[in-house]
Amino acid sequence: MFSAWSRIRRLAVLPLLLVAPPVAAHGGVVAEDDLCVINIGYLRAHFKMFVPAVSGHREYCEDIPVRGETVFVMEYLHDGLSTADIDLRIVRNTTGKGNFARLADIEALPDLEAVTVSHAQAIVSPGVYTALHGFDEDGEYIGIVQAEAAGKHYTAVFPFTVGDTGVGVWPWLLGGIVLLQLNFWYWTRRRRPAATAALFLALSAPAAADTFMVDGDRFRVAATPSIDPLVINDMHSWELVLTDSDGAPVTGANIDLAGGMPAHDHGLPTRPRVTGLEEPGRYRVDGMRFHMPGAWELVLTISLGASRERLVLALVL
Amino acid sequence: MPPRRTALLLIAGALLVAGLWLLSHRYSAAPIAWSADERRLMASLSIRNLPPLPPDPSNAVADDPAAAALGQALFFDPRPSANGMISCATCHQPIRRFTDGLPRAIALGRAARNTPSIVGTAYSTWYYWDGRRDSQWSQALSPLEDPKEHGSDRQLLFALIRDDDAYRAAYEKLFGPLPAKPDVVDIDRVFTNVGKAIAAYERRLLPGPSRFDDYVTHVTSGGDPAQQSWLSESELRGLRLFLGQARCTECHNGPLFTNHEFHNTGLLPPTGELPDRGRFDGLDAVRRDPFNCLGAFSDDPARRCDELEFVREGIELIGATRTPSLRNLGNTMPYQSKGQFATLAEVLRHYNEAPPSLIGHNEAKPLGLSARELADLEAFLHALDAPIAADAALLAAPRGYGSKPATDSPGGR
Repeated sequence: MFSAWSRIRRLAVLPLLLVAPPVAAHGGVVAEDDLCVINIGYLRAHFKMFVPAVSGHREYCEDIPVRGETVFVMEYLHDGLSTADIDLRIVRNTTGKGNFARLADIEALPDLEAVTVSHAQAIVSPGVYTALHGFDEDGEYIGIVQAEAAGKHYTAVFPFTVGDTGVGVWPWLLGGIVLLQLNFWYWTRRRRPAATAALFLALSAPAAADTFMVDGDRFRVAATPSIDPLVINDMHSWELVLTDSDGAPVTGANIDLAGGMPAHDHGLPTRPRVTGLEEPGRYRVDGMRFHMPGAWELVLTISLGASRERLVLALVL
Repeated sequence: MPPRRTALLLIAGALLVAGLWLLSHRYSAAPIAWSADERRLMASLSIRNLPPLPPDPSNAVADDPAAAALGQALFFDPRPSANGMISCATCHQPIRRFTDGLPRAIALGRAARNTPSIVGTAYSTWYYWDGRRDSQWSQALSPLEDPKEHGSDRQLLFALIRDDDAYRAAYEKLFGPLPAKPDVVDIDRVFTNVGKAIAAYERRLLPGPSRFDDYVTHVTSGGDPAQQSWLSESELRGLRLFLGQARCTECHNGPLFTNHEFHNTGLLPPTGELPDRGRFDGLDAVRRDPFNCLGAFSDDPARRCDELEFVREGIELIGATRTPSLRNLGNTMPYQSKGQFATLAEVLRHYNEAPPSLIGHNEAKPLGLSARELADLEAFLHALDAPIAADAALLAAPRGYGSKPATDSPGGR
């Protein structure tokens, strides 16, 4: 029962489970908000496991109810991991502590190599870490992640089980909770467009690709693409005419460009930027391209001295 | 029969009839009335709206017929390989639209990904599934030296050009005399010129008009949508889904049915492999490629490299692969970057479900299409099959080149 509790408390989204004891401070895999998270010292990553050949895209956080070739994934929540040396070792859990095994228990093992079933050599893996291990036997295992970042060494351990470990009804119940959880994640993880204090929308049809106007509190932008009609998959430039609220041209502002398709969770296909000031208040933007028809947002963050404003230009292609 | 039961039966019968009528209406009535938006979108997909071949300023011989002839000979020549049996055409087989019918390419060894078609790639901004090259000519170089593909190297290529009379004559006419005592840069120069000649050939391989294109021409030139014989009713229903509900044109757009961009679509890795990091690593590779647009071997004196200079980066690219064209899917199975799916039906089922990705996030959203609708979509995709719009002479080893006949099969000798 205790190990069951330890599992449940990690699925922290369900409110009734919030009464569970606080999560252990060191290592382990825990659910925080809507992610399964591993803490490697102060470095954090979204942790997940898959058994593609058996359960396809099904994501596991802690215990893997099926046996087979398992993909371990850590998606970094901390940039430090992108440059860290990361090493993953999987050992048989012979600590006798089950899901409560901690780093000290592993350090106490007489021969780590003897219980090691898999050891991926340390690599630097920018963006995301992945490793592969085929489990031949059901049972209790411990994953040991070591990260070497900025000369410091961090370790996390995560006990987990593979296959049917004879805990009766719990896997099914947990499976159900995991499914609910996945469902919940699915619906909550869709990124929403960031809220902004000053959001101004200018909508225009693609055929009339003349000039887009967007008015803010401090700044006003008239944006004109270099191609007419404004079509997808064509690299082009924009001209931005920046004026203050009185209509006077603004020179020397820093204009940062971002954007994307809010409905698709992705940004622009390129990284456009201001490449020159053609005359007072007229800025040239190069490297602009759209690659899908539909609703786009172009986010201009304009800063001049201490004042800063974010203007959003909406367009439909 | 009590009146109440009769009334219930009548209502049930009426509902059944109405339901059947709705079903039959939905499934059998030909969608012949296209909206203005649909017509516009259809026209944008027509091969007849394919712009002229974009110039490749990085390749001075891109449009030189003599370079194309040399490139074609090299393309089909198995000599630039470690065992003398692997040519470009070993994997890029003309009969299969320049693919090989394998999940992952097999030459000297097994390559990491599925062999993409070459047809229409002159319009691409990036090459390979992960975009690790940025020109058609720099793409042509890597397989020659890849130990799993040709397993040759640039010194051997130099020797081949030098020692084969026909190659040497053609090369020197195009690029000037071969250096007698080549240094490293000379060797690289000849190597890149070989790539440029191959690209000059590949540029000429373009898709031809399909039944879909003929239908679009008919509809957009004012023909009666009902009076046509190009597309079946199922294909027309598939087309309607393609343009709308199935959201295909979000990525598969333009006359080549691709936006030439990179997207994560939640594909599973094959057994024994880690998830494909895709564009995330490909971007790193193209930036480091000495033969990229900004490199010393580009023929463009202006070095205008907007694509490289303004390229998108970030964790969005994890697990993203290049959108392939949808023209000629009938002959290019299996599909996806690792050949994960043997049939189009499996591909469509995958997009209908849009499962979560192992790494990064799947940009596609579940579509909720019925089995019938998926079958219609599949039918429509086959309406895009068409012969290559190139002279038949371009689809085989040319005559008059090479000191021994080229073969397009590793098992040929």
